[in-house]
Amino acid sequence: MVDAALRTAPVPADPAVYDGVTITLGTPLERRSLRARDAKALGKLLGRKLPEQIGRSSEDVLCLGPDEWLLRAPAGTAVPDGAGLPLALVDISERALTLVLEGPRAIDVLQAGCPRDLRKLTVGEGRRTVFEGVEIVLLRTGEDRFEVDVWRSFASWLHLALTTAASHLR
Amino acid sequence: MILIHCPYCDETLPELEFAYAGEAHIARPLDPSGLSDEDWERYLFIRANPRGRHNERWRHVHGCGRFFNAVRDTVTDKFELTYKAGEPRK
Ligand SMILES: [Zn+2]
Repeated sequence: MVDAALRTAPVPADPAVYDGVTITLGTPLERRSLRARDAKALGKLLGRKLPEQIGRSSEDVLCLGPDEWLLRAPAGTAVPDGAGLPLALVDISERALTLVLEGPRAIDVLQAGCPRDLRKLTVGEGRRTVFEGVEIVLLRTGEDRFEVDVWRSFASWLHLALTTAASHLR
Repeated sequence: MILIHCPYCDETLPELEFAYAGEAHIARPLDPSGLSDEDWERYLFIRANPRGRHNERWRHVHGCGRFFNAVRDTVTDKFELTYKAGEPRK
């Protein structure tokens, strides 16, 4: 993690407030891309039971694919590196940032650019998907609360796309 | 929009999450340097290109990331079925 004092974000720090949805830059996270053929060995190393169904999460780990997980934890959380084990734990903390959408219209804003039926995404689930052609990891953290992980270089454009969709709500 | 069933996610999802990846079940030659130019050309470039039922590879690129195989009708663009990579031709 870089020092917080040096951190710059490509999106405004102030929340974007609309009628029915607020779009906020999330706090910095520890992120790890986890790959393993043997989910049990990875779970043992992390001290967590890993979700085995794609889209499900348990604690701070989301299952993205048959052998792929994403760990998202508060910045500064210690995560083992798995040295010597047949696993990959890659630090991708700074690759992405999080945009938080909160409010009763959050789902409508996301549905404006995401081709999936987001009503089927239940609280606690997450998926890798797209928003207007930009790859995102979308997590539903509450009935009216979503977190969007997006690569930093796409973030300013995605923020513009989300706020544009939000400003057209009616 | 076309909906495609990902056999790994076990979900039927919009085409926008997927990428086409050419004809399926084309095995790389075990001894490439032993091939004649004509055989190498056949491996690299010559495809069945049928009118109708086509076994082809797709990747759930904006999802679970896996490659899988599908049977699609090239006339109607309808997907008959999808199956995991490594399973025999269907
Ligand atoms: Zn999939």
